[in-house]
Amino acid sequence: MKNGFVIFLAAFAVLASSWGAFVLAPQLQLGGAKQVSVLNSSDVYPLNRPGEANQGLRIYRANGCAACHTEQVQQAGFACDVVLTAAGKNPTVISNLISTLKLRGLNEREAEAAANKITTAGGKVETHIVATGPDISRGWGLRHSVAEDFLYDSPVQLGSIRVGPDLADVGARLPDMNWQLLHLYAPQNVVKDSAMPPFRYLFETKKIGDAPSRDALNLPKEFAPAAGYEVVPKAEAKQLVAYLLSLHTDVPLYDAPFTPPQVSTNAPANKQ
Amino acid sequence: MSDEPKSCSTRSNAEPTAARSHLPMWILVLMLALLYLGGIYFDRHSGWFDKQVYSPYANAAELESYQPKSGAAALLAQSKKTYEFVCGVCHGTDGLGKPGQFPPLAGSEWVNAKDYKRLAQIPLEGLGGTVHVKGQEWNASMAAMGAGLSDADLAAVLTYVRSSWGNQAGAVAADDVKLVRATVAGKPAINGEPQLKTIPE
Amino acid sequence: MSVNEIIQKNPTTQEIDASCRVPLLVLFGGAALWLGVGSVLALVASLTFHMPEKFGDCPWLTYGHVQPAADDALLYGFCIPAGLGVALWIFTRIGQTPLRGAIVPVVAAHLWHLGVLVGLVGIFVGDSTGFAWLEFPRGGSSLLFFAYLLLGLWALMNFAGRRESRLFPSHWFLIAALFWFPWIYSTANILIVGWPVRGVVQAIIAWWFGDNLVFVWTNLVGIGAAFYFLPKFTGRPLQTYYYALFAFWTLIIFGSMRGIPAGAPVPAWLPALSALNSLLLVVPVIAIAVIGWKTVCGVANQECKGGSFCMIKFGFVSFVLSALLLVATACPHFSRLTQFTWLGAAQTQLQLYGFFAITMFGAIYYILPRVVGIEFAFPKLIRVQHWFAMLGLVIFVVSLAVGGIEQGMKLNDPGVAFADVTKNALPFQRASTMGLLLLVIANLLFALNIFAMILAWKWSVAKSVFAAVTAPLEKSEVKA
Repeated sequence: MKNGFVIFLAAFAVLASSWGAFVLAPQLQLGGAKQVSVLNSSDVYPLNRPGEANQGLRIYRANGCAACHTEQVQQAGFACDVVLTAAGKNPTVISNLISTLKLRGLNEREAEAAANKITTAGGKVETHIVATGPDISRGWGLRHSVAEDFLYDSPVQLGSIRVGPDLADVGARLPDMNWQLLHLYAPQNVVKDSAMPPFRYLFETKKIGDAPSRDALNLPKEFAPAAGYEVVPKAEAKQLVAYLLSLHTDVPLYDAPFTPPQVSTNAPANKQ
Repeated sequence: MSDEPKSCSTRSNAEPTAARSHLPMWILVLMLALLYLGGIYFDRHSGWFDKQVYSPYANAAELESYQPKSGAAALLAQSKKTYEFVCGVCHGTDGLGKPGQFPPLAGSEWVNAKDYKRLAQIPLEGLGGTVHVKGQEWNASMAAMGAGLSDADLAAVLTYVRSSWGNQAGAVAADDVKLVRATVAGKPAINGEPQLKTIPE
Repeated sequence: MSVNEIIQKNPTTQEIDASCRVPLLVLFGGAALWLGVGSVLALVASLTFHMPEKFGDCPWLTYGHVQPAADDALLYGFCIPAGLGVALWIFTRIGQTPLRGAIVPVVAAHLWHLGVLVGLVGIFVGDSTGFAWLEFPRGGSSLLFFAYLLLGLWALMNFAGRRESRLFPSHWFLIAALFWFPWIYSTANILIVGWPVRGVVQAIIAWWFGDNLVFVWTNLVGIGAAFYFLPKFTGRPLQTYYYALFAFWTLIIFGSMRGIPAGAPVPAWLPALSALNSLLLVVPVIAIAVIGWKTVCGVANQECKGGSFCMIKFGFVSFVLSALLLVATACPHFSRLTQFTWLGAAQTQLQLYGFFAITMFGAIYYILPRVVGIEFAFPKLIRVQHWFAMLGLVIFVVSLAVGGIEQGMKLNDPGVAFADVTKNALPFQRASTMGLLLLVIANLLFALNIFAMILAWKWSVAKSVFAAVTAPLEKSEVKA
């Protein structure tokens, strides 16, 4: 290239096209995004986070939580599960048929074929869509994260490394405020071998007054303060926990469809 | 002086130059081959700029075909909302109606009838005159509140009504509503209980 | 033309070098300081994994503050000012034109280092913006932007007024780099920090910025410098002009159109476009590797004595490895395995330290003695530093890369409890801490030499001022 101006033009053109593809186009496509409706419901999603949770997002950002945690669930694939809803007039026939058929993890055509077999035998079926992938199997979410999940977040804290578990759905997975506070104060207390540093400066150790505070943490001996003292969360700790508890992505959307599991009394135990 | 190969210590002041010879063809061929492979990948995985297609879905058609069809539970949730919006204003979200004004649906013999045809005609045609529900007399007139609902929505609402607040009647399907709608097309509101009873169940 | 006019028109190499003296001393001196600070912070951050209890009471030392601060100190504190200084000097040398008005780059360099200080303090007090490579709050980032504009402008003015009009391939790379940073930095700061865009678009822009800065900008400056120094050291011309032209175009086109990780919560076309361009990045990597190989191969006296030439060669090899790793991790199957693991940290360190920093070390060790006119106080330490840096880097990168891949395999296996994933990564963490320790020593040795040179220069300036003040007056100056 002959002179500086040509070099500048070259760099300008390339950077302009990169800017167009990765700044302008996404902004045009997603920048005006609004709430979307939840599948098979008239609810809208997402709902704006309550004030405390928004404050909590600021605490999350200020303490660099995104340096160890991600907030994006990944989905490797999707499948159909065929589920029997009514046995009809010939339950034994249906039962024999089901024992011969594969009913989980099917693709669309296979699911339709299996469903037809059962309905012609007199039973009633439903086809459930399920998301598949290691994150889903770990219980970190029911579907992959989409742009709508972060609609009201500023700043968006997606994270880039999983030194700690993914937090996109932590509000659904670990909804107990006391557990969260204990975990922040002394992670090694609630999760053995945790690499998370304790965030003791979000709490204060103060002398017990006339009666122990309602907020005081219930700590075992090796983490408890000296006798006569109690550990009470500061406002920042409560806001941070409010934010964590507001992290839910367990609703089906058009661009992340799945059949919500039936709520039953046999809910799975709290997973990490 | 930092260690440098002997050959250049005498030439450290000369600025470097660039040899001019042609670019070999193989690297251009490699680039074109990789562009081709990359293009195939892009075609399969990008959803062609559709903003609703996220990985792992390949394209909009695949996303559409893997949408869950309304299951019974989802339908029930949706129908509850529709009921509350359309019917609940008068008949109450608890199905008990308003004393003196609108009859209850909870425990109503018209709702719990084995077949649905008579019940389905009421929201499709409207009901006027005097009706007895659970031994009480009711005189309010009802417009054809369900005429504006789709077959599926009205079927969902009827199913919801027939299975809530202690009612234990069977579901109503969208196709059933379609049939009933066809028979009542253009007819005026049902006038009173005698006419209601003439409708075959 | 009189003799004086001829001398004015044709400045000697010494004069050209001397014109850059103070700006480069400020740029490289501050860079050396931040390099040392950054590596100590990185060491502190990595200690969190071995003794998490230790820093629980001090908000300043929590991992979420120290790790981003360490990364930013390396990139903004060392890499960018070192790169700008080297670029400035290369412009003056190839253009055979001294730097005029050097006071402006000196002030700009001070402003830059002040901006880094403000930014790092901002991270520690909790004002971080929350986005990787963009953590500096507004005060710091505005200072950096303004300082960069001044430095870039001065380099371009020198380029525009150059005597030697012939262009050399390094010019393309360095001019593009000068232009690159202000655009991406201002876009990212305005659209993410200043007037934030909505939702996940923030993350997209942050990824675009991070990739363009850490991988495109450093590639441009580092390769531009390597293409200058490799032919200089070997005494052969760069092999070849058209190869370098092809490498330049493909590097900026394919390198800039990537950065979105696979599986990100964004529409699928963004990661797909990114993966496509990452695959195509193989082409400029091969071209650059061939250029390096052909320029260096076969030259006599090639044993590695740990000096500038050795460092530039090592940096060059690191570039090739880093770029190939970038291509590999963009491949969707491999990306699913490694995307949220320590491999990312290894990749960043290989790029920023293994390639860019070590290339800058080689360049700075060559440039500073010529520019200041004083030899390094501890020349033997240069070789020691080189070996510590190489060894530390290899240990760090290999341990985290292997640890990252294993972490990824376990994360993708839902049968493995998360606590086990953490536990298994610990031995690799320990090894990487060892590597960091070696890097801290290497960086301190580098800083030692640079600071000793600054002190020596200041001492010589003081001595000459003193001599001028106490010299006996000329007879003509004494009033009767």
